[in-house]
Amino acid sequence: MTDKVTVRVQRYRPEEDAAPWEQSFEVPYSEDLSILDALNQIKDQQDPTLSHRWSCRMAICGSCGVMVNNEPKLSCKTFLRDYREQGAVTVRALDNFPIERDLVSDISGFIDHLETVQPWLIREQETAVSEGAYPQTPEQMQRYAAFGQCINCGLCYAACPQFGRDPAFLGPGALALAQRYNLDSRDQGAAQRMQWLNAEEGVWSCTFVGSCSEVCPKDVDPAAAINRGKVASDINYAVNLFNILRGKDDA
Amino acid sequence: MRKPYVQRQRADWWLRNPAYRRYMLREATALPLFLYSLLLMSGLYQFTRGEAAFLAWLELLRSPWLLALHGMALAAALYHAVTWIALVPKILVIDSDRLRVSPATVKRAHQLGAVTCNAGLLLLALLLLRAAGGN
Amino acid sequence: MRRSHEPIAWSLFGAGGMLLAFIGPGLVLTTALLPWLAAGDPHATHAAIGALLAHPLGKVLVLASIALPLFHTLHRIYHGLHDLHLRAPRLPMQLLCYGGATLLSAITAWWLLLV
Repeated sequence: MTDKVTVRVQRYRPEEDAAPWEQSFEVPYSEDLSILDALNQIKDQQDPTLSHRWSCRMAICGSCGVMVNNEPKLSCKTFLRDYREQGAVTVRALDNFPIERDLVSDISGFIDHLETVQPWLIREQETAVSEGAYPQTPEQMQRYAAFGQCINCGLCYAACPQFGRDPAFLGPGALALAQRYNLDSRDQGAAQRMQWLNAEEGVWSCTFVGSCSEVCPKDVDPAAAINRGKVASDINYAVNLFNILRGKDDA
Repeated sequence: MRKPYVQRQRADWWLRNPAYRRYMLREATALPLFLYSLLLMSGLYQFTRGEAAFLAWLELLRSPWLLALHGMALAAALYHAVTWIALVPKILVIDSDRLRVSPATVKRAHQLGAVTCNAGLLLLALLLLRAAGGN
Repeated sequence: MRRSHEPIAWSLFGAGGMLLAFIGPGLVLTTALLPWLAAGDPHATHAAIGALLAHPLGKVLVLASIALPLFHTLHRIYHGLHDLHLRAPRLPMQLLCYGGATLLSAITAWWLLLV
């Protein structure tokens, strides 16, 4: 059976295009064809100028994020068979990020926000490597494990209308990672990270739309992480008020 | 040469998918509920002006416009309650060494509490007003 | 980055949201039915509500049932207008929404003291 399926792909060639446009391709359909397979088929067999990112093909590298029919998806774990009833499939570059070329997004804004929250173990006093690892029980690990599954694919940023409204918002991925370290029993950097959470661009730009958690391919639930961050920031605000009354301000 | 195309959010972004529309509907519950608070305030104000003014306000509540407002406020309050309690377990996380409560239990407890309080309030009002009416 | 003062607004929003979830539908139904419930003896209804408003605890409960939902709804309206791309400077909008909620709450408290 040589069934064909129409894939509409967004094109943007910075040298010649003022704005993105749409190009249709016919791809031979099979039951196990992923969007990524379709894009590779187009690039290899039909139009070598098409640009898209991919690497692992197994939802762990996080580089193949695109909008499939207006929803952020990893193209490697999204299958054409699930769109048969909707007719044509439209593939665009991720929402909310600048488009570098075709389906390639510039996610550096997200990466900068990730670095801002210092997503690594912070210790008041580093111990020598020779003294061994910082111990942790399985129960302690369970508290942050889900928030640690992030693969930095950026789908949550494409889904977040508040990041779309204001790219200064640290956003779901970075704030989930901040929470992942704040909840880690080996970490002592929560107070240090608090200043980023406390800001307007921190947890307070979030209005709990919840789409970040719906689109996350790793079930990280950034919306829950951010809103637990709001509770922490709320308590921090009250403590700071109390300290101001006692004549000590953390400014 | 780089020339990234910057995508700007359109004002009608929330019409683009059902999840965003549900979010906007949730936020829009604030409109009838805000008007309802103003209605309660007007009742309180009429009460301060004396019995006749308050009883006139009570009669005013029978008007179709205010019944429509009540209907919208009721729908908004119900939608608000359901969506609010669905999010509670994401914020109220009880997970310490001493006490651990599953998110499903937190949600069920809130649902049960909300149903009890709402039904209790209505029942209390019915009983008190029947008693006050002397029948 | 500067510390946001949103925690004040968010705490009041949260308290109002929780209160509305727990008593909102019941309260709306009660006032919707009030004219019919009171029809038998309006004077007695007036007296019953007067007794509620005369008691200090009653005043506190009524104030909470009006003020906290005001902060809740105006917080949502403030952010909703931002979501809809309303072109208005932040400060006047904050003054209007949160200042409005504060003012309306103060008026409610004043009327409760008059009863």
